[in-house]
Amino acid sequence: MSKHPEHFQLIEYVIFGLVTLAVMCLCVCVGSVSIPLPETVRVIWNALIGHEQTSGLSNSIILSVRLPRVFCVALSGSALSLAGAAMQGLLKNPLADGSTLGVSSGASLGAVLAIAFGVTIPGLPFSGTMIMAILFAFLSLLVILGLAYKLDYSLSTNTIILIGVIYSMFMSSLMSIVITFASDKIQSITFWTMGSLQNSSYKNALILLVAFLLCGGVLFLHARELNAFAVGEDNARHVGVDVRRTKLTVLIMVSILIGVCVSIGGTISFVGLVTPHMVRMVVGPNHRRLLPASAFGGAVFLLLADLAARILLNPRELPIGVVTSLVGAVVFVFIFYQTRKG
Amino acid sequence: MFKEKKMILVSLGLSVCLTAGLTGLTTSADGGNADGVSITDMKGREITLEQPAERIVALTASDCEILYAIGAGDKLVGRGTFCDYPEEVLEVPEVNSGEDMNIEEVIALDPDVLLMSDMAQTEEQVQMLEDAGIRVVVSEAKDIEGVYTAIEMIGALMGQDEKAAEVVDSMKDTFAELSEKSKGDGTQTVYFEVSPLESGLWTAGANTFMDEIATMLGVKNCFSDVDGWGEISEEQVLERNPDFIVTITMYYGEGPTPTEEILSRVGWENVTAVKNQKILNLQNDELSRPAPRLADGAKLLYDFIYEETDETTEAASEVTPAEESAEAGD
Amino acid sequence: MLDVKELSVSYGSCTVVDRLSFHVSEGQWLMIVGPNGAGKSTVLNAVTQGVAYTGTVSLHGKDVKKLSSVQRALQIGVLAQNHFVGYEFTVEEVVRLGRYAHSSKVLAGRKDEDERAVDDALALTGMDALRSQSVLRLSGGELQRTFLAQVFAQNPKLLLLDEPTNHLDLVYQKQVFELIAQWVKQPGRSVVSVVHDLSLAKAFGSDALLMNRGRLIAEGTIDEVLRPEHLDPVYDMDVCAWMREMLSQWDAMDNV
Repeated sequence: MSKHPEHFQLIEYVIFGLVTLAVMCLCVCVGSVSIPLPETVRVIWNALIGHEQTSGLSNSIILSVRLPRVFCVALSGSALSLAGAAMQGLLKNPLADGSTLGVSSGASLGAVLAIAFGVTIPGLPFSGTMIMAILFAFLSLLVILGLAYKLDYSLSTNTIILIGVIYSMFMSSLMSIVITFASDKIQSITFWTMGSLQNSSYKNALILLVAFLLCGGVLFLHARELNAFAVGEDNARHVGVDVRRTKLTVLIMVSILIGVCVSIGGTISFVGLVTPHMVRMVVGPNHRRLLPASAFGGAVFLLLADLAARILLNPRELPIGVVTSLVGAVVFVFIFYQTRKG
Repeated sequence: MFKEKKMILVSLGLSVCLTAGLTGLTTSADGGNADGVSITDMKGREITLEQPAERIVALTASDCEILYAIGAGDKLVGRGTFCDYPEEVLEVPEVNSGEDMNIEEVIALDPDVLLMSDMAQTEEQVQMLEDAGIRVVVSEAKDIEGVYTAIEMIGALMGQDEKAAEVVDSMKDTFAELSEKSKGDGTQTVYFEVSPLESGLWTAGANTFMDEIATMLGVKNCFSDVDGWGEISEEQVLERNPDFIVTITMYYGEGPTPTEEILSRVGWENVTAVKNQKILNLQNDELSRPAPRLADGAKLLYDFIYEETDETTEAASEVTPAEESAEAGD
Repeated sequence: MLDVKELSVSYGSCTVVDRLSFHVSEGQWLMIVGPNGAGKSTVLNAVTQGVAYTGTVSLHGKDVKKLSSVQRALQIGVLAQNHFVGYEFTVEEVVRLGRYAHSSKVLAGRKDEDERAVDDALALTGMDALRSQSVLRLSGGELQRTFLAQVFAQNPKLLLLDEPTNHLDLVYQKQVFELIAQWVKQPGRSVVSVVHDLSLAKAFGSDALLMNRGRLIAEGTIDEVLRPEHLDPVYDMDVCAWMREMLSQWDAMDNV
């Protein structure tokens, strides 16, 4: 077993950062329409120095389509992975994730309710769905964990998965009911549930960035508490962790991250499951290292998944969730097998 | 996720375009005796009725439209959920189709015939309906020729052969006239938008009615390399730079209209259609349902494409609001 | 140092600990003994605020309920019976968690003092060589020593042990108890442990508390409590005779 340093080293930040940056560049340069590299560089350079550009196709594609999308995808990936890593630590269960627990479905229901009943906050057009998604993500977590603790205090893998599956099904049936009652909004709802990162804008990227920095920051400050939880909740209490406060804080942060991601890009399954698992194999389970590494890893994973979604069937596009679920399902089985074996 | 995609397609009344492979049909009532009816439906099944159908349930929106067009709307005793044209059809009792079908409900309506698209119901459901004495007829048009066939078949079924022939002839005349008048040589391109950016761009590619009619009018569908309906990349739209954009997104009276939304898209300002404001919003499925109104749709598309160029600025505003009122109400 | 007064714990209508009072002073090693279901572990859980209770638990005159979790951890350490660690943490990482309460400030860097405490604890428990090993690959005894090192690094005044060697083989049992016996010799420290094995209790404990069905049966020095007149009714058998018989198995072997 190799020994990992206690902290994420500067050099590691640099390496992970560079890899992420490289993948981002790749995703900006490669796409459904091929634009020569020098042209791409020229467009971005001109934009960076604020040079007024001659309007052109590559200009529109890179600055209006690819860049905002790449930002949104990278930030969604980071946010979802952070949420996954934090939950896996808190629950001491490597299979915990927004999608496996059913939190994403809960968030979706919240957003659909917001659309169906026209919940909006004056002045902030998107906020209704977002707030409802966050709220429902949080309520879902409370319900799921409450149920899980009631049924099986040790929160074994099987319990978690069963409850997640059942909860997701419950949420989707509630969603069907809402859709039936709000038939005049059926199109907006259906469009929303099909949610796509195609509609990425710089504004969305900014919202994601704020949520990511805020919640990611708070989670990072709780890295030691998460370590204690990952070793065991009782042990965490014994060494002096305020168990209730930590749990509540982490769950709220996770809810915000998942709620924001779901309201912007729809349900993207398994990102929070796959990335922390892979990253853990490289940097170890210590959350001081795992959290930053997961943020980078999540960005890379989702960027590559999105790239595949964009170019595999060119000119068609695949929903990004299809790609992540494909990879995720395989990794899920692998982790499940390992936890059973261990 | 795929299921949801599928659902919206169905909800827009277009499942038809996706289902592949259909047999031609060879008949109408001419083989029948005085008042008996014998047809081959569009799946190749032989169906004989002792007399034309008096009570009929139609599950697809297009079949309802055909029934009304041939003057047999009064025989309709049940309709599918998405049937919404003409307005009278909304007064007909609604039945669920697909896996949600309530067989008892259908039987209670006591129809002679149930019209459905291919694969709308399972074999078992069809069997149960047949056992209850309801003849199941498949109507499935995947191109304009298929629509003629469907109209003639339904005409025969209802004993309205002449009216059906009239409808078909009128459609043929309209298409012939439009095709004749069209000056396009296929160099100008049109992009059909089936679902907006918000939910991922979907277009209608080859083997769709939109594609067929565009070709007829001498413009090229810029996504003719996509088969059927499919999600496509925004970049591709920008690169293919269509001269015209046709969107069938519905407008509910809130926020920007579909046309305004397209005009406001960041990065689209250099697309020719956006620059020239050549955007048509079809709200009423004129180009997506295999029904007689395809001719109306073709006319709207013709008018939109071949307007005098100096009127282009008014084009967008002229077409959008006018279309919306008819069925936004449901 | 530890004062427990009128402690009662109920799960629903079932009273597990019934008005229990006892006192632990510095330098004492109190053994809580009694049959299964006597409520022994629940007493420890109440002291660490892991379960709701009535009555008072105070430490140096302060109500433990009113201490923050960090303040509590600075005073009270716990070595549990079983440990199921979720991930491949290293021995050192687990031990370092023991320093949580000492540097609970969020961004506290690594202090020399913490490092020294971790190193000492690892050395003391003989886990130094395995410090970079994953805890998932340790034997049961090594894992228990890891958590013992953690609680040593935590450096509490009062150490609570919940049948710490229940599933360990003899060598580790001896090691762990000897390490704790060393630890409690330092001034200002005490130990409260729940044990099943009466011989172990007798060998290492200074005082004892005999419980049955949530109630106190006897308390006092270890020799006062572990006597037939107290034990036999509780266990419903002749305990000493049984112990002697067990030991005689070994006498017979010496004669061979």
